[in-house]
Amino acid sequence: MSTTLLTGSEAAAYGAKLARIEVLAYYPITPAFPAMERISKFIDDGDLNTRFVRVESDHSALAAALGASLAGSRTFTVTNSQGLLYMTEVVYHTAGLRQPVVMAVANRALSAPHSRFPEQGDAISQGASGWIHLFCENNQEVLDNMLQAFKIAETVRLPVMVNYEGYIQSHTLEEVEIPNQEKIDQFLPLTRVRTLDVENPQAVNTVASPEFYMDYKFRQNEAMEQALTVIGSVSREYAQEFGRDWSGLIDTYQMEDAEHAFVAMGSMISDARIVVDELRSQGQKVGLVKVRAWRPFPAEALRQALKKVQLITIGDKNIVYGLGGALGTEVRSALYGQDVRINSYILGLGGRDVTTVEIKKVLELSEKTEKQATASEWFGL
Amino acid sequence: MALSIADLPKEELFGQGHAGCGGCGAAVAGRQAMKALGSRTIITIPASCMATMGGSNLKTTWQIPFYHTLFEIAPAVSSGIRAALDAQGIEDVNVVSWAGDAGTADIGFQALTGAAERNEHMMHVCYDNEMYMNTGGQTGSQTPMFAKTSNMSKGKMIKKKNMLAIMEAHEIDYVASASIAYPLDLIAKFKKAAEKPGFSYIHILAPCHRGWQIPAEKTIEFARLAVESGLFELYEVDEGKRTRTVEPIFIPVQDYLLPQGRFKNLTQEAIQGIQAGVNRHYGRGE
Repeated sequence: MSTTLLTGSEAAAYGAKLARIEVLAYYPITPAFPAMERISKFIDDGDLNTRFVRVESDHSALAAALGASLAGSRTFTVTNSQGLLYMTEVVYHTAGLRQPVVMAVANRALSAPHSRFPEQGDAISQGASGWIHLFCENNQEVLDNMLQAFKIAETVRLPVMVNYEGYIQSHTLEEVEIPNQEKIDQFLPLTRVRTLDVENPQAVNTVASPEFYMDYKFRQNEAMEQALTVIGSVSREYAQEFGRDWSGLIDTYQMEDAEHAFVAMGSMISDARIVVDELRSQGQKVGLVKVRAWRPFPAEALRQALKKVQLITIGDKNIVYGLGGALGTEVRSALYGQDVRINSYILGLGGRDVTTVEIKKVLELSEKTEKQATASEWFGL
Repeated sequence: MALSIADLPKEELFGQGHAGCGGCGAAVAGRQAMKALGSRTIITIPASCMATMGGSNLKTTWQIPFYHTLFEIAPAVSSGIRAALDAQGIEDVNVVSWAGDAGTADIGFQALTGAAERNEHMMHVCYDNEMYMNTGGQTGSQTPMFAKTSNMSKGKMIKKKNMLAIMEAHEIDYVASASIAYPLDLIAKFKKAAEKPGFSYIHILAPCHRGWQIPAEKTIEFARLAVESGLFELYEVDEGKRTRTVEPIFIPVQDYLLPQGRFKNLTQEAIQGIQAGVNRHYGRGE
C-alpha cells in the first residue's frame, strides 16, 4: 500500500488498473479524458495488459465494452454528459443483457446551453436505466468504489456507474492510498462468464414476446434489489481488507442525536462534514446522510437513518424539469407517512459553487422555512 | 482448384427453422455464408429481418453464438468481442457483424467506418435488399434510383450510394460484392475474408420479393439477372488488387428491371439511361 496525490481521474484509472481490466473502450470527452489517457499510458508503459478499442464515438464505446463483456472479459469505459446521453440507448441495453460493465462518469452539466462544468444531471438522466449508481465524496472513494463496483457488478450481473464530479473531483489532487495489487487480486478474482462462446452457442437478445418480456424485467429488477444487500456486504468486506469503510448504501455522520439532517451525494458530502462539525461546535444538533448508492435507491436505509429527525434538508445538483430535484423527490417518497419537515433545494447547477459557505446557508434557510411552496426551491440564483 | 457444391459441408449452421418469409434472399445469404464460416464463428446482427428471423423467445435457428444487437452498433460490438478473444488468447474464431442496408450504409455507418478504419480483425457483411424491409419497405440510401417504396410512391429520384466504393476507400484487407445466385463465388469470398488479419467487407445483393414485388420463387432468378445485366458487378478487391469474379453476359437491363413491381413506372428514357450507365462502366459501345 502506498499513499500519493491523485486527481479523481487518476484514482479511477488506478482503480481500473488494479481491477486488471481486459478490455477498455472510450471516446474522448471533457472532463473525463484524463482518466482515459492515464489508463492508455498504463497500457503503453506495459503496466497493464489490456486491449484498447479506439472507437469513433461514445455510443460505440459502450457497444464495444458490451461486446467484450459478452465474450467474457472484464471491461471498463469512461464518459460524461453528452457522451453519456449519446450512449444512452446502449446504457439501457447493457443492463437488460445483465453485463457487468463498469463505467466511470465525470459528472458534467448537460447542453443546452453548453457547459463544461460539474453537475449531477447527466447521471440522474440515467436513473431508470437499470445501472447501479455509486457516488463518490472524494478521490479515495473514487478508487475504492471502482474496485467495489466490479465486485458488485459481477455478483449481481448488473452494470455499475462510478460517479465523481467533473473538475471538483476529476481534476483536483487529493491524497489517495493505493491498495496492494495482490490483496486486490484476492478481493476481486475474475469471474469469467462467456455469454458469447463458440463452445456453448447461445442466441442473445432474441425477440421477446409479451409472454416473456415482463418476466425478464422482473428478474432484472430483482437483481437490483439483490444489490441492496450486496453493496453493503462488498463494502464491509472491503473495509475488513483495506481498512476503509464507506458504509454500503448510505453513510451517516453525527446522526445519533441529530434534529436536522442534510441529505446529499457526491462532492458536497466532504464539505458538508466540515459544516456539520462547525455547527455542532455551536451547539446545533445537525447531522449528515450521504447517499452513496443512488440506484438501487436505499429507501429503507434512509427511513432508518432519518426516523428521529425533525427537519430534513436535501441538496440536489440536478433538476428534473417540472418535478424538482431527483434526490429530494425520492427521499420524500421514501419517507411517505413519516411526520417530518422536508425542504429540498436545487443548487450548484452547471458548476455554480457549492462550498461550506453555501451548504451552511442552505441549512439556515431550511431552518427558517416552515413549508416549501414547491417540491424543490432554487438556491443561489 | 475451384470450389464445387460437393465440397461444401452438409452441416446447416443457419436456416433450418428460421422465421423469414419463404423465398427470403437474406436467409439464403446466411445459409451460404455459414457454409464458409463454420461453427467457430460469433455473429452479431443489428435490428433487421435477419435479426428477428434468427430466433424468438427460447428458440433459435442459429447453431453458433448469435447476438441480436441494437441497430447501429454491430461492428463496434464485434470489435469488442475480438478484443476480448484476443485478451483471452482465443485465436481461431471468426468475428462477423452482419447487417442489412440500413444497419450498414445508413444508421449503422458510423460504427462500420470506425471499425474499418481501425482495421479490426473481423468482417462486416451487408445483405442488401435495397430498402428498409423490416419496417415495411421504406427508402434508404441503398434504394436504387426510380424504385418505388412504401414511403416514396413516386420512386426515389436520387442515386444509390456506392457502399463498395466507400469501403474500398478505407483500404481494408478485403472488399467484395457477392450474390446469392452465385453461391460458390460467395462462399469463396467468405473463405478469403475469414483468412484476413484485418477488416473485410462483403456486400451481398439479396433480393426481397416483397419489397421488389416479384414472385417469391424468383428471388434467386432476380439476383442472377442483376449480375447478368451488369447492374450488380461481382468483384473483389483483395489487398488492393481488383478482380471481376463473374463476367456479365449483358442481358438488357430492362429484363431485370421491368418485371419488378417497384420499377413498374420506369420510363423508356430512364431505362436507356440505366443501360447507358452499364455500358459506360464496362467500356461497351452503345
